[in-house]
Amino acid sequence: MKKKNCLALVLAAVMALSLAACGSDAGVSASATDKTEVSQSVETKTDETKTETTEAGVLAYTTLNLDDHKDASATIKFIHHKTDRQADGTMDAMIAKFNEEFPNIKVETEAVTDYAEDSLLRLSTGDWGDIMFIPAVDKSDLATYFMPLDTLDNLSQKLNFVDSWQFDGICYGIPYMANAQGVLYNKAVFEKAGITTLPKTPDEFLNDLQLIKDNTDAIPLYTNYAAGWTMGAWDAYIGCVSNGSNTYMNQEFVHDADPFKDSGDGTGIYNLYKILYEATKNGLIEEDYTTTDWEGCKGMLNRGEIGTMVLGSWAYAQMQEADSHPEDVGYMPFPMTVNGTQYVAAGGDYNYCINVNSSDENKLASLIFVKWMTEKSDWCYNEGGYTVVIGGKNPDMYSAFDGCTVLSDQPALAGEETFLNDMNNESELSFNAGGNAKVQRIIEAAATGSESFDDIMNDWTAAWNAAQAELGIEAK
Amino acid sequence: MQAEIRVNEKKTFAEWFGSRKVQKALVIFAFMVVPMVLLFVFTYLPFGKMFSFSFFDMKYVGARKFVSFKNYLKVFSRKDCFGALKLSLYYMGGSVVQLSLALYLATILSFKVKGGALFKGFMFFPYLINGIAIGFIFKFFFTRGFVFDSVLNWAGFTLDNLPFWLKDQRINNVSLVGTSVWRYTGQNMVLFIGAIMSVDSELYEAAMLDGANKWQQFRYIILPSIKTIILLNVILSITGSLSAFEPPYVITSGANGTGTYFVVMHEIAHTQQKVGLASAMAIVLLLIIFAATIVQKLLFKYVFKSGDDDDPKAGRRRERAIARYEARKKGGR
Repeated sequence: MKKKNCLALVLAAVMALSLAACGSDAGVSASATDKTEVSQSVETKTDETKTETTEAGVLAYTTLNLDDHKDASATIKFIHHKTDRQADGTMDAMIAKFNEEFPNIKVETEAVTDYAEDSLLRLSTGDWGDIMFIPAVDKSDLATYFMPLDTLDNLSQKLNFVDSWQFDGICYGIPYMANAQGVLYNKAVFEKAGITTLPKTPDEFLNDLQLIKDNTDAIPLYTNYAAGWTMGAWDAYIGCVSNGSNTYMNQEFVHDADPFKDSGDGTGIYNLYKILYEATKNGLIEEDYTTTDWEGCKGMLNRGEIGTMVLGSWAYAQMQEADSHPEDVGYMPFPMTVNGTQYVAAGGDYNYCINVNSSDENKLASLIFVKWMTEKSDWCYNEGGYTVVIGGKNPDMYSAFDGCTVLSDQPALAGEETFLNDMNNESELSFNAGGNAKVQRIIEAAATGSESFDDIMNDWTAAWNAAQAELGIEAK
Repeated sequence: MQAEIRVNEKKTFAEWFGSRKVQKALVIFAFMVVPMVLLFVFTYLPFGKMFSFSFFDMKYVGARKFVSFKNYLKVFSRKDCFGALKLSLYYMGGSVVQLSLALYLATILSFKVKGGALFKGFMFFPYLINGIAIGFIFKFFFTRGFVFDSVLNWAGFTLDNLPFWLKDQRINNVSLVGTSVWRYTGQNMVLFIGAIMSVDSELYEAAMLDGANKWQQFRYIILPSIKTIILLNVILSITGSLSAFEPPYVITSGANGTGTYFVVMHEIAHTQQKVGLASAMAIVLLLIIFAATIVQKLLFKYVFKSGDDDDPKAGRRRERAIARYEARKKGGR
């Protein structure tokens, strides 16, 4: 009996093994046939696309004619950070409109909370979809992940702000909207406080904040300290706004041996952050900054419980929608005047990009989608964005910007594309790249008196110089 | 005929295969392989990867550069890495409060109490809530003029006399530790109740007959019986204190002097993209936790002489005591 059992076990084992072998054999042969089929179909497809693209050359944004591809068919996936627009149906409405023109392109969207981090992790897996917004990658890695969209020369004739994600003259990203960097304010609060002309210098601004404190119940400057990224938003005023130079941010900053020194004339990075320090020290910000609530502050600004907030123009539409006084929400240039001129920095927001590993038909469909979104969706206008398409219409909110010079940061010099990222990481100051803690530190220091403003600036300078030495970047 | 021969040939193998020893090994292997594979793929493999990352200067994407022990040197030379460990003292202090509270409640609730099950449920409930959700709850709880301040107002405090729970750097870490105590006390309590339940109830009766009061029952019956589970909880809460993350990350995002070691590590890994340095920090923390655990073990073993149940001397003592007892019984007869 026992023998029989053993025999049965052995036989069963042998059979199982041979079965497994059969299975794997079958699998191999099946996948082999699959492969041949696939390669055949790829051949036929490439033939088709060849005939298609030979007329237009390589797949490129400017030469792509949307009307030629009404019958394009594919299913593409778009991951983005606009969770609010996903939730309120704006995204679905835009895609429905897109499908009226291109009924066979199915667009799946996914809104990712905490996009800046999650998108990087997904990118490293390679399998993330077809279109995304470019996260903080090194420019030298762009070609590894993304499809070239067009040359910088071609693209910059049609669109603004396309140079932020270019490498060697090839663009890999197109901004979905552009932001101008100014200051949100409540017109009713300003009126009640007795402010008749908008402030043009840090001193005027601080005086106005004091007026708001004295004459109204509103919080003069709401920092949104707890949200974190709202503090990093102050970095956007380095460069064009504080220095009046569109080459400073991406070209000279990394080589500046003393970028955080006091220029003495109320300009520069030092005086930019000094506003925050002084406002905090004089009690011109919210009482308990550690429990600020980003969603709640929108309604507060709308209702006139907040005087000013330092945020990009993208926030304007959200503030207007937040409550019943959209007409009171105003937008003004940043209160800093360099040699008699107020500068406004405008630049692209997140950039669309296309997965380099997508299939050819998905690349085509993705490019169609990106072009349609950029030129025909009105998304940028509806968000209160500065126009991406050259000659496009601008929302009314920018009326206060008349007389200011609008600049956009020039890209880094050839061969130095990765310098700013490297410096940001090495110095851990992370300007315009999630360096929220360093700005929060200014508020903590001012509120508790633990550090003087000059101490902080000296500390930053030391970190900056150490990073320059570590990376071998020449400092002047 | 041929078949028979084949069976005979295979017989030795079959016999060997069917032997108890091989079957036992086979069963053990079959049961072990699934958890071992899971353990390897999801724990040891990523850990090995992280260990190798700690020797590189790298970001998540892009090229990597081998730098040998430079990352480790940085961990020890940077102010923020080890400075953050000081905050663990707050959490360790919190865990002492938490364990004593849990032990106290567990002792009370393991005797007959009216509505005992209901209380157990209420106390355990916070542990069931997701840590992130707790973070959001307490963010509003501590907001000026919100829940906590209102409750204290009812109790007669005026708002002007109350501190800013998260803004004031002298107490904000205490506030955060409070959330963690609130969350884990119930869980510790349930573990303690489970251990106390296993104490033979006849011992209480005997002690009561001998005139022992409740404190003496606790001190001489309950405490020695559950010392293993207490030790385990102490070790868990100390390692938990060293790696505190959720309360500071969600409630204050590590700002305003509340950045614990884990929050600093997270910032370095994800914002500054220094993956190698963050991996080195993780390895260093692991070594610190090892060291802390070993020190605790030794402390319990030599200072309190009661680290483990399987103390061989205790066994021998017990045997001697039993032998004496038996001898006396015999002699008595």
